[in-house]
Amino acid sequence: MPYTIRKKRHTWLPAVFLTLPLLVLLILGLVPSIAAINLALQNRVLRYSDSEYVGFANFLRLFGDRRFLNAVQVSAIWEVVTVAGSLIVGVLLAVFLFERIRGRARDLLALLLIVPVLLPRVSAAFIWKFMYSPLMGILNWLLECVGLGGTALLSDPATALYAVALVDIWQWGLFFGTVILKLLETLPTEPLEAARLDYAGTLQVYAYIALPMLKVPIMSLVFIKMVESLRSFDLIYVMTKGGPGIATETLDMYAYAQGIGLMGKVSYASSMAVLMMLATTIIFTLLWKRVAKWEN
Amino acid sequence: MTRGLGAVATTAVTTLIVLAALFPILWAVLNSFKELMDIVTPVPRFFFSPTLANYQQVLASPEVLTGLGNSVAIVGLAVLAGAVLGVPAAYAIARYPIPAKKDIQFFLLSLRFLPPVAVAIPLISIWIDLGLYDSRLSMVVTYLLVTLSTIIWLSIPAFARIPKEIEEAAALDGYSPYQVFWHVALPVASKTLMGGIVFSFVLVWNELMIALALTSSKSMTLPVVASAFTSMGQEVPWGVVNASTVLLALPPLLFVGILGRLLNSMLKHK
Amino acid sequence: MKIVTAIAWGGVMSAACLSMSAASAQSCSVPVLKVLAQKSLGLTVMEKTLAEYEKKNGTKVQISYFGENDRRSKARLDASTRAGSYQIYYIDEANVAEFATAGWVVPLLKYLPKDADYEDFLPGRRAVASYKGVAYFAPLIGGSDFLFYRRDLLEKAGIAVPKTLDELVAAVKKLNNPPNVYGWAARGQRGSGMNVWRWAPFMLAAGGKWENNGVPTFNSPQAVKATTLYRELFKYSPPGGATYDWSNALEAFRSGKVAFMIESTPFADWMEDPKKSSVVDKVGYVRPPSPLPSAAYGHGLAISATGAKDECTRQAAGKFIAWATGKEQEQARLKDNVFSDYNRSSTIASEYFRKHVKPQIQAGLTDTTPVSRVTIWPSPEWPDIGDNLGVVLEEVFTGTRGDVQSALDEANEYATEVMQRAQKRK
Repeated sequence: MPYTIRKKRHTWLPAVFLTLPLLVLLILGLVPSIAAINLALQNRVLRYSDSEYVGFANFLRLFGDRRFLNAVQVSAIWEVVTVAGSLIVGVLLAVFLFERIRGRARDLLALLLIVPVLLPRVSAAFIWKFMYSPLMGILNWLLECVGLGGTALLSDPATALYAVALVDIWQWGLFFGTVILKLLETLPTEPLEAARLDYAGTLQVYAYIALPMLKVPIMSLVFIKMVESLRSFDLIYVMTKGGPGIATETLDMYAYAQGIGLMGKVSYASSMAVLMMLATTIIFTLLWKRVAKWEN
Repeated sequence: MTRGLGAVATTAVTTLIVLAALFPILWAVLNSFKELMDIVTPVPRFFFSPTLANYQQVLASPEVLTGLGNSVAIVGLAVLAGAVLGVPAAYAIARYPIPAKKDIQFFLLSLRFLPPVAVAIPLISIWIDLGLYDSRLSMVVTYLLVTLSTIIWLSIPAFARIPKEIEEAAALDGYSPYQVFWHVALPVASKTLMGGIVFSFVLVWNELMIALALTSSKSMTLPVVASAFTSMGQEVPWGVVNASTVLLALPPLLFVGILGRLLNSMLKHK
Repeated sequence: MKIVTAIAWGGVMSAACLSMSAASAQSCSVPVLKVLAQKSLGLTVMEKTLAEYEKKNGTKVQISYFGENDRRSKARLDASTRAGSYQIYYIDEANVAEFATAGWVVPLLKYLPKDADYEDFLPGRRAVASYKGVAYFAPLIGGSDFLFYRRDLLEKAGIAVPKTLDELVAAVKKLNNPPNVYGWAARGQRGSGMNVWRWAPFMLAAGGKWENNGVPTFNSPQAVKATTLYRELFKYSPPGGATYDWSNALEAFRSGKVAFMIESTPFADWMEDPKKSSVVDKVGYVRPPSPLPSAAYGHGLAISATGAKDECTRQAAGKFIAWATGKEQEQARLKDNVFSDYNRSSTIASEYFRKHVKPQIQAGLTDTTPVSRVTIWPSPEWPDIGDNLGVVLEEVFTGTRGDVQSALDEANEYATEVMQRAQKRK
């Protein structure tokens, strides 16, 4: 790279552009977080008007709570399945569309793929719950047509979580397809053309050239999806309420039920939320450092 | 190259994709016109006598219009404010040496690590104390956290990928840093930026928990209204649920469609 | 002279004050009443004549509807944070204890106008609407239990209507013929108002008890026996039956796939709806086979303590509640073809009801009403205890857990901890 002498003018642009947004975020982010931690250190139950500080009592209780430990596990599985699923589906779709479809058809398909994610989560959950229904759903009927009927995917502890995850992937994976497709469209064509002349298979062009060029935006998408997957409540609540048993009870479901939905044990729920926040921070920090090394 | 096979395979896969994306929705649209009895049968009925009763029930509820208006206003403002504040901020982070740049980026992400249940009660108390409980303003401000952090987060890579040469050329031509941003960086990155904005719109449009906690009769949003149609005092009203799904999905669809057109026209000008 | 003037003035002033306060008591007006509710057929009917009520009483009534679970959460949030956005809450029997002990709702009878005739409500409804003998809500909807059975299937197989639990089990097994017909459908999904609701009568019938002086005892051998039976019956229900909610069970029966079901009485009307049901005129209704009790439930309107702060607002709220749940409204529901939302003895005895409700349903009501009772544990901690119990029950029913005794032990232990903690806070 030729060394260019640039006159670096001092400019106030960073300060102008950054101060207000960062300040806003700091306030909006810190105030509720501090309030939540404050709540977690008390024993506030909505039913009682008074409460006192109990230190770490809630946290200690959590570690002996079977449902909490299960919720952590379920949340972890949910996180991995939905993020990986959405990413894989999105990449495959984007590559297919970019490679095989041109022009207006491609734009139309891209628009179609956004439709599922625009549905209210509750509504999407109901639509799929109905399709999964053993007696009345169309999926079971189709399976029976090919002789595989009699399944009750949402009632089987082994399949319930994955059946619900499918809905999440249906919404987000298809959306990712469109986003990654648009990203592919922004790539300069020369490297891809050159690669095609050198390599035999189209898949290799994508795997080694196109997608690595999009590493950074795709990773940022993945991170956002990871944060979004933490909020699985609406979907799971409608489809299984956390069942069968606690097979699909994620952490935010359990916290919500304890805090507001059922009992008003907000301090207990808050302590769960705080733990979740800590765990997420630690895991994401580790991943973040990994990805940062990857970029360099 | 087996061109013929390639074309057949392409069409097959395309059809599958369209089916996967649309079938559930089309099934919902179909079912929204059915009487309940035609819906809850073991063998799905494709032929039936249609009814508009489900849609009538949804549209006859005044809260649907209220919810729609509130959602459009609240989400629109939150996304707008997020974009106006966030896009320039992302540019600054992407293009200028900022101390602790990576940490700031991580901070953006971490803002959403806390589940809503923990902040619901404190937020309610705060807004009540400020006298803004059940107001659109409180919702816009609360959602601003999501839109602002998401837009900044997703816009940073968009700006980072602009070739430096373009900006340097503009600077040499005498553009001020602000003009470089406005006339050069923005148009080049606009496509990706739009993706980020649409993403944040989607995130906030369907948000239910915080809306449930912070709104009452005045500023209830569409997802809250939608959930009211899921229990109507009888068995699950599948027809009405489907009708409300279809109706509630239309505004964001329109929004995205309009946004897409806007983008295309903007790009054509440059 | 001055003293006389002073006394005269004093008299005039006090007279003026008295008349002013009397006038203000009469002119106490409440411009708006906000109601937190979930959609129900009865409320939909009420909305038709709401404008008249508003004009007559000079009060605007705004109703906000939520989904059932959101309604519960919202009511809890509104009351506990003292947001007080709503003057009237729609509450149900599971929440009465919690709301009453927290002081979130006020005792109702004081604020009902004299002609409200609260005693007219069915005894089962009044029982669930009260906590410790004090009434808190006026019922909009409620019921107890029927044994729903397919008359045609029983006749064809030559089986008599089961009068005891053993007869029922035998009949279920006999009529079970998958995949055309299944013998039984019941709620399996977790929830204090879901599988626990249907399981409780079985436990009580087997001789089990919820508690003994505040100490939970629902892991007794009798409860284990009841749970094993309940689990056993799922063998004769449609696939996925172990996670059924009441809507699934209803749909399964109504589509003609199930022979027996014990469920809530309002469903009877929905069975006979030709637009939705495939089993019109094929269904019979009797009380649940002995020794099963008939589980009474009810949802209704209560007055919020923080939302309605002063006597005037509470009186206005009480007036509205009395109207919304009154005899005229119940008749209006019948005339609007809503035969599932009745709560008053007078409604059941009325001519319109007798003429338009199918005789088999009426006979069933006469049969089951006398044995309706509260079958849940009426404690403020009930939602917590019930939810936890529902989880382990669903695990047992779906086969995730094999050992019933240990499952019930776990739920019982959890309940014991909950009760202990509640004791400490008193």
